[in-house]
Amino acid sequence: MKQIIKLKVNGSMEEKAVHTHHTLLEVLRSEYKLFGAREGCGIGMCGACTVLLDGQPMSSCILLAALAEGKEITTIEGLSDPGKLHPIQQAFIDHNAFQCSYCTPGFILSAKSLLAENPAPTVEQIRTYLAGNLCRCGSYYKIQEAVLDAAARLRGEKQNPQLP
Amino acid sequence: MSLGEALPMLDAEERVSGRINYTLNIEAPAMLVGKILRSPVPHARILRVDPSRAQKLAGVGAVLTRADFGSHTGYSGKYGRIFRDQTVVALDKVRFVGDPVAAVAACDEDTALEALSLIDIDYEEIPPVFDETEALTPAAPLVHDPRPEQQPMFSKMIEDLAGGSNLCSHFKLRRGDVEEGFSQADFVFQDTFRSPAVQHVPLEPHVTVAHYAREKLTIWTCTQMPHAIRAQMAELLNLPLARVRVIVETLGGGFGSKGSLRLEPITAFLALKAQSPVKIVLTREEEFVTVCKHPATIRIKTGVMKDGTLVARQVSANFNTGAYSDIGPVVARNGGSAMSGPYRIPHVRIDSCAVWTNIVPAGALRGFGVPQAVWAYESQMDMIAERLGLDPLEFRRKNLLRDRDLFATGEELSDIHFDELLDRAAASIDWSYDDARWLNRTEPKQKTVRRGKGLAMVIKATITPSTSAAALKLNEDGSLNVLTSSVECGQGAKTVLAQIAADAMHMPVRRISVSEPDTDLTPYDQQTSSSRTTYSMGTAIREAASDLKRHILDCAAENLEVSVSDLIIEDSRVMVRGTPQRSLSYGEITRLSNQGNLFGHGAFTTRGGLDLQTGQGIGSVHWHQGAIGCEVEVDIETGKIKILRLSPCVFAGRVVNPRLCELQLEGCAIFGLGQALFEEMAYGEHGQLLNANLSDYNIPSFADVPLKLDASALEHAGSEELHGIGETLLPPVMAAIGNALYNAAGVRIQELPLSAERVLRELSRANMTRRE
Repeated sequence: MKQIIKLKVNGSMEEKAVHTHHTLLEVLRSEYKLFGAREGCGIGMCGACTVLLDGQPMSSCILLAALAEGKEITTIEGLSDPGKLHPIQQAFIDHNAFQCSYCTPGFILSAKSLLAENPAPTVEQIRTYLAGNLCRCGSYYKIQEAVLDAAARLRGEKQNPQLP
Repeated sequence: MSLGEALPMLDAEERVSGRINYTLNIEAPAMLVGKILRSPVPHARILRVDPSRAQKLAGVGAVLTRADFGSHTGYSGKYGRIFRDQTVVALDKVRFVGDPVAAVAACDEDTALEALSLIDIDYEEIPPVFDETEALTPAAPLVHDPRPEQQPMFSKMIEDLAGGSNLCSHFKLRRGDVEEGFSQADFVFQDTFRSPAVQHVPLEPHVTVAHYAREKLTIWTCTQMPHAIRAQMAELLNLPLARVRVIVETLGGGFGSKGSLRLEPITAFLALKAQSPVKIVLTREEEFVTVCKHPATIRIKTGVMKDGTLVARQVSANFNTGAYSDIGPVVARNGGSAMSGPYRIPHVRIDSCAVWTNIVPAGALRGFGVPQAVWAYESQMDMIAERLGLDPLEFRRKNLLRDRDLFATGEELSDIHFDELLDRAAASIDWSYDDARWLNRTEPKQKTVRRGKGLAMVIKATITPSTSAAALKLNEDGSLNVLTSSVECGQGAKTVLAQIAADAMHMPVRRISVSEPDTDLTPYDQQTSSSRTTYSMGTAIREAASDLKRHILDCAAENLEVSVSDLIIEDSRVMVRGTPQRSLSYGEITRLSNQGNLFGHGAFTTRGGLDLQTGQGIGSVHWHQGAIGCEVEVDIETGKIKILRLSPCVFAGRVVNPRLCELQLEGCAIFGLGQALFEEMAYGEHGQLLNANLSDYNIPSFADVPLKLDASALEHAGSEELHGIGETLLPPVMAAIGNALYNAAGVRIQELPLSAERVLRELSRANMTRRE
């Protein structure tokens, strides 16, 4: 059964006819062709499908699309314009904070939420906050550095003193 | 100067913006969704398959069953890298819980799933066998009977055996006289070690899109071996190689899982039958029943002199390859040939077997048999050191392989750096002899959290012989296309190969583009695995660059009216020696050639191989070498191990890109940490997997990795040799942690993983024994 819902994705509001049992991830990929959120586990454990819902990280693989009505949905594609990266994205590049990068959009969006809540996180706080995002390639140390550095950049500092 | 530069990945911006293309994103017009029906039982004959109700469901494009295969159809449906023991869908029997029995292509996922539920199958169950040791007993049920046919191209690598047994392959290594060695030895120790099945868990699942039209198959698929997939699909579909096109986008991780045929046969036959493109994406649960690391039981007997000199080693190893052999026989061979470790042992006898059972098929996983081997021999090294009262560091050093030593395969070694690697590993954790529990004379402390340090080393082959080819296309503006079939799995292959091409062609990386593998367009490459791409494809690119430079120089010489010997190449230009104002750019030369563009071709083949009866010969074109030091904290009230320090170091020859190298080394260590501490596929008594999801099967997260990880690459001054580093440091992680656990808490565990439950059980058993 299909239902008409209104979704606000990356700032623009649209009506979509979606199956009532389809998840937000399915709708973002099939209706919007936004491929930055990806299924990794299908049960909300790996964080590869993370999007922001009113700024909060959410596993879009276990959220019915209809339940996202009335919320601001931000995907990795909405974080920046092509050619003009968000400081967190730039820090991920500068610190090589990925290998296969399947998990990267999820990490970047979770990091964005972390830095909104806590502009100067410690290493421990970063590790705890991002423990729900999995990177099978094991780029954790570089991710940690990138988030520390991004935090400094967003605070307007040049270099994070905690970085090696 | 592009070699040795820490460039970011060339496609980094697409990666951080979520715009990089994975096979998962591929869509084709009128594409159908494919789904697979899987066996609920571990071993059964199939009495009846009735797809009629599914075929009548609206929206179903095709139902694939055993009726589509057999002589009446022209398609045998049988495949397999080494043995043709696997079928597109089950023909007569199912052999594990999860074995594909039928498949459906339909307009959407819901319809495909409904259609699966309408396929009627009758099974007649037969007794299964799950354990690799039990499977070799005479009473064990046969997983394959008759013995499947062996592919002729592997006859020099894998000995064909008689039928009537679950013994799939038997690798033998014979050096010296092991009985004589044991009789000379002051002590002989025998110990058994086990590794469980673990899954690769690439975050991107297997995905294949197949399209069959005008007698040509096009597949977009997640694979590390585009050309091997092409060859096997051509055989299955009775097509010439030119009529199978395999296209590979960047992978969301592979780790060996994306090597042999996986979804390609089932997707292609659905597409052929439905006359529409078909896409299959595996669920995470299906990933777990598709391929895994070999469970292995390894018995090691080692003869040693009182002073610690190793004299003899006998190994009997059984690698459980599950229901289908995949590449299992080569895994058993690769693990087997390295079981003497990085040590000089004059008498060695190794028997390393692959065994068929009724569990999930096992294949290549990062390290390729060596992780199981190192877990066994490096754990035993510490056990022997304790029995002899030796410092495990000095015991290892006494026996280390050095330049000009002969390895167990009989080959003379060169460029060997184990002494330096061991020193680095020991220094990284400040190892001193009293870190060995048995040498520590201070009173044991009664604290509930105890610390300990451990060391482990590794020697590993890269697949030999192997072949890579590359082509370089110089364009009329002087930019360069590198045509290669190497697969980008996140290891940074494209970036590293661009750096090698830039160096060889004396031009900047930004003027170079590296292709995606496309078997219609890009030259042959054996596989992206075995840590071989940087070395083998890198060398092929250097050869192609030499070829291209010859054409460039010939063309420049003609146009500048000088001889080639008067020309030099610098900064994308050819100039006359001594008169640099007489010069031509690469672009000008290409335009002057009147050929549109200039091509260079290069191929590189390594030579070697081992004798089938003795395992003597050349095992590896060069040997990968590594060592790890680690320090752990063990809570003896919970059994939980916390890693405090982990310091993996590898010999890298010459590092092409230090940043990407570091990522690989850290990735190896973290991958090994999961296998050391908690990763294990748990089976129920009926052979059903109990934890096929990422809630019950954990992989390392931020919460598991140590605060400090000091990965380092040892470079050899002046060396141009590029050593692969993608796997070397995974195998020793488990034994290093196991050895540290022993030094911390006094429990020696010989079966992975070192889970808190297991550690606690062993601790309480040790306590009981002490009280008695």
